[in-house]
Amino acid sequence: MSVHHASEENHSERRSFLGVLSGLIAAGISAILGVTIGRFAISPALSSTSAEAWTDVGPLADIAEGKPTKHNVIVSQNAGWGEFNSQKLVWVLKNGEKITVFTAVCPHLGCTVNAKEEAFICACHNSKWDVAGNAVAGPTPRGLDVLEHKIEGDVLKVKYLDFKQGVSQKEVLS
Amino acid sequence: MAEKSSKGTQAMDWLDERTGIRHAMDEALNEPIPGGARWAYVFGSLLLFLLVLQIVTGIVMTLYYAPTADHAHASVAYIQKVVPGGALLRGIHHYGSSAMIILAIAHLAQTFLFGAYKRKRELVWIVGVVMLLIIFAFGFTGYLLAWDQAAYFGTKVGTAIAGEIPFIGSLQQKIMLGGTELTTVTLSRFFTTHVFLLPLALIALAGLHVLLFRKAGPAGPYHDRDNHRVDRFYPKQIFKDSVAILLVFLGLVYLALKWPAELGPVADPTSDYLARPPWYFMPLFQLLKYFPGKLAIVPTVVLPAVIFGVLFLLPFFDRKGERNPFKRPLATGLLILVLAVAGGLIYVSKYQDAHNPEFAEKLKQQDEEMHAFFKAPFLPQQIGAKTVAVAAKAASNDTVAPKAYLESCADCHGDKGEGASAPELLGVAAKPNRSHDDLIKILGDSRAYGLKKPMPANFPDLTDEDKKAIVEWMVKLK
Repeated sequence: MSVHHASEENHSERRSFLGVLSGLIAAGISAILGVTIGRFAISPALSSTSAEAWTDVGPLADIAEGKPTKHNVIVSQNAGWGEFNSQKLVWVLKNGEKITVFTAVCPHLGCTVNAKEEAFICACHNSKWDVAGNAVAGPTPRGLDVLEHKIEGDVLKVKYLDFKQGVSQKEVLS
Repeated sequence: MAEKSSKGTQAMDWLDERTGIRHAMDEALNEPIPGGARWAYVFGSLLLFLLVLQIVTGIVMTLYYAPTADHAHASVAYIQKVVPGGALLRGIHHYGSSAMIILAIAHLAQTFLFGAYKRKRELVWIVGVVMLLIIFAFGFTGYLLAWDQAAYFGTKVGTAIAGEIPFIGSLQQKIMLGGTELTTVTLSRFFTTHVFLLPLALIALAGLHVLLFRKAGPAGPYHDRDNHRVDRFYPKQIFKDSVAILLVFLGLVYLALKWPAELGPVADPTSDYLARPPWYFMPLFQLLKYFPGKLAIVPTVVLPAVIFGVLFLLPFFDRKGERNPFKRPLATGLLILVLAVAGGLIYVSKYQDAHNPEFAEKLKQQDEEMHAFFKAPFLPQQIGAKTVAVAAKAASNDTVAPKAYLESCADCHGDKGEGASAPELLGVAAKPNRSHDDLIKILGDSRAYGLKKPMPANFPDLTDEDKKAIVEWMVKLK
């Protein structure tokens, strides 16, 4: 190997060595930033949950007997920098002592369920349920989702939850 | 291995046929650097890196930031106190803005000293000066976004200064504020300017700056000693740039972790907050003290117009070929004078604040309030229907709060106990450890009940009668 060739090889090795070092620096900075940004962007989204709290539906005396009635409830959701208190819709069916509370969210794709002629319908895709909440027609994969309720004093309270849509089994979203 | 390499080459060939990437990379990496690679040439690459870093950290912070007066502060506090990595990213963005200003000034100063604006590099220089102005505008618009006391009152003073400019000042101020007052509209305008308009302008100008620089070529050293030496941009200069970038990045990370970016209590327009600008606007702030009233035109218009007028026109009236700073005493002296005066004004401003007992006391108090808020745990804002319901419920309480409550408690807990920056008091007496006697004791020593700042530890100004009146009213709140 001539001296000239050896010198060229050294020069080339030095070039690639400095290139590798520069690449490592770029990779290191990208990794630090990438991990930090990844945690920043994703972590709170994964840990965000709806508060499982009892919320007032209203005085029992105000709920009509024998037919589904629509009520607004206030639900707190911890969403980052705020505790968002939004109104949600529930359907209450009271037959004497027996009370059933349904969420008004369609189990198919999440449209709002309405009541018509002693039954429930979803106008988005024509799903239908009977007055007991059993699916009778349309693409809905399951019956209406029933919410846990209790009576405190003379006030009906409900534990509002969100459920996964498009599946045949009722599954709480958390 | 050979097959892999061949596949890699094929992929590169495919890409090259469609984009011409090989030629572009060859042009970029093999650019000759007269006089060889140097540490003195790292400023441009550093600024480009900081621009990208500011854009990336700024974009990710908008995942949580809410640009409205009601929510901006809470969203920044959430980023700072709760989101993993939020304090680090906000700190990097905060110190990155100062680093950009320092490095942009250093880059321009070096170009000025080495006479690198000469010989067909006039446009490179002019675009660079415009970029410096935009970097200052970034600082001004970004300062308000946290919507804390310092941000609100600092921007109020800043926009008032903009209003001092003759003929156009009043109109300019209204356009900046979106009206006559600093409101949520102002915040929207500053946010849009900070995250859309200025980045677009700076990216476009940075591209033009690099393009013009490539066209003109590097100026090389101001002396002839290294005329025989020419390096390619890759790898020596890139390596030097990379090391400088790493050091600056690690410096920003260190600062962000060691001294997190500050955030004080939410803006309260009714307070008597003593506004102080960020360090880079302090020379202008200090000059305004020497030119009161109508003379304010001197530091706000005349001086900036002269300085930036000279900077813009510099390459056209300085046509001599000489680039050695030691043989251009006037230019070198002028640069040193301007930097020394700016530094001196910052020092004098700090000195005067420290030696004026009234100001020093007030600034100390503000600093303590800022640190107290900073250390306090994050409290999520109550938003939406419940707030309305609570307010309605509070409004239905027909008893008027006692005077002592209105003076000592209402600012935080609301006039009717509906809650504001502190929790609501409706139904408080039904809660555990909040009986009539407990509430009296809390007013005497809130820490004994585990209550933390910003709730005061006690209320020395309240008499026993005041405390009794407050508590008797509170227990009636349902």
